[in-house]
Amino acid sequence: MQVMQQLSSPVIYLICGGIVAFVAAVCVVFAVRAWRAGKAIGMDTAVLRRVVTSSASFSVLPAVAILLGVIALSGSLGIPWPWLRLSVIGALHYETQVAQGAAEQVGIHLSGSEMTASAFATIALLMSVCIMWGMILNLFLNKKYTNRLSRNAGKSGPSFGDQAMSAMFIGLVSVYMGSYLGQWISGNGRFAFAGSPLPLLTSLCAAAVMAGLTWIAEKKQLKWLEDFSLAIAMLAGMACAVLLNAVM
Amino acid sequence: MNREDMIARYERGTHRIGKIVSLVTLILLIGAPFLIGSVLGAMPDLPAVARGFLAVGLVWTASSVVEFLVYTPMLGSGGSYLAFITGNLINMKIPCAINARDLAGVKAGTKENEIVSTLSIAVSSLVTILVLALGVLLLQPLQPILQSPALQPAFDQVVPALFGAMAYKYYRKNLKLAVWPLLLMSAVFILLPSLQSQTSILIIPGGGLAILLAYLKYRKEKKQ
Repeated sequence: MQVMQQLSSPVIYLICGGIVAFVAAVCVVFAVRAWRAGKAIGMDTAVLRRVVTSSASFSVLPAVAILLGVIALSGSLGIPWPWLRLSVIGALHYETQVAQGAAEQVGIHLSGSEMTASAFATIALLMSVCIMWGMILNLFLNKKYTNRLSRNAGKSGPSFGDQAMSAMFIGLVSVYMGSYLGQWISGNGRFAFAGSPLPLLTSLCAAAVMAGLTWIAEKKQLKWLEDFSLAIAMLAGMACAVLLNAVM
Repeated sequence: MNREDMIARYERGTHRIGKIVSLVTLILLIGAPFLIGSVLGAMPDLPAVARGFLAVGLVWTASSVVEFLVYTPMLGSGGSYLAFITGNLINMKIPCAINARDLAGVKAGTKENEIVSTLSIAVSSLVTILVLALGVLLLQPLQPILQSPALQPAFDQVVPALFGAMAYKYYRKNLKLAVWPLLLMSAVFILLPSLQSQTSILIIPGGGLAILLAYLKYRKEKKQ
């Protein structure tokens, strides 16, 4: 049997599917515990339900984009392994880069025609090793780190802790927005204005739609619209990218 | 049982379960290439793995440390265990948890935030697992649609669309705070275009500046 056929054989599906099922079970355990704890400390069921609804609706579109990552990698690594990697621990922007780098180390191009059993096993292991550090840090340091943060929050007052997290997120968003502007202005040579403006325009379009939805939700007191506004704005931004790409 | 005891019990359980499942997931992910290798009749080339780690892994290791330091305070302990197990942090879990926090009206660092964040990431992960499982099942009919050149820009631009929407949401409430990090980061990426592939590392200075500005504002308001 060819390696690529073996990589998508039932036994490989079984191995990868088993791990995905384990992680799905972990998610259910965490969700049930959080829901119960929320109820036990007096949180409103309607609030918890909104968290579930908005999180589920928000996640669909990025998940479809992640599915494209599975498709992109399936040509060289079979279907089950990319499916596992992008369902568990992996990240869309990371997997392709590392798989490419790993393939170079074993002396092949990342393609199905060049894949061998040994090359696959090596690439798969390297993909796991490179991204496991966040989980290892959590394993050993999460408790100490979060306890320390709680103590510090107690000292400086809870109000700044909340402001600091919002500020951190603003900083994070600014990094990405700045990178889109930089990509357009200097992406193909400093100040050449020859880079792709698509990420910048897409983000501006999504921001404009978000502004419109927020205005409507506030004006008409539509709570349900607030829950879905992020997903709708993203969809509008993506549609805008398709249109802009067609005219540019 | 009173509220404090209940919370303490929940937190103890979260750390216990979080550590166990992180360890098991780690073993499964490292073990899977060996197991698949044994099915295929070939084992991983360990010297090549070591060379590959030095070539491509070190950057991701540094990035993982930054992610752990930055995201754990945002997500709380339960959310953090779960997010690092399920992955796709920046393009999904972090914005999802932050959005849920806003909708629920809870403050960072509170127990309510810990619960909302954990619930949000768990639901988001389950939706991802479900969409990917369905996608894999329906790969044959879906592939031509998802990979059509016309739709390609839409899926390439998911993250810009996400951050554009989030930027409006956060900038409108904190415009003064957002101006300097945005200007600084834009200037960095314009003047040093090679850094465009290192966005995750730049979260530290970008976030650090925003926190510093927030702290100065907080102190000023406290004095008044």
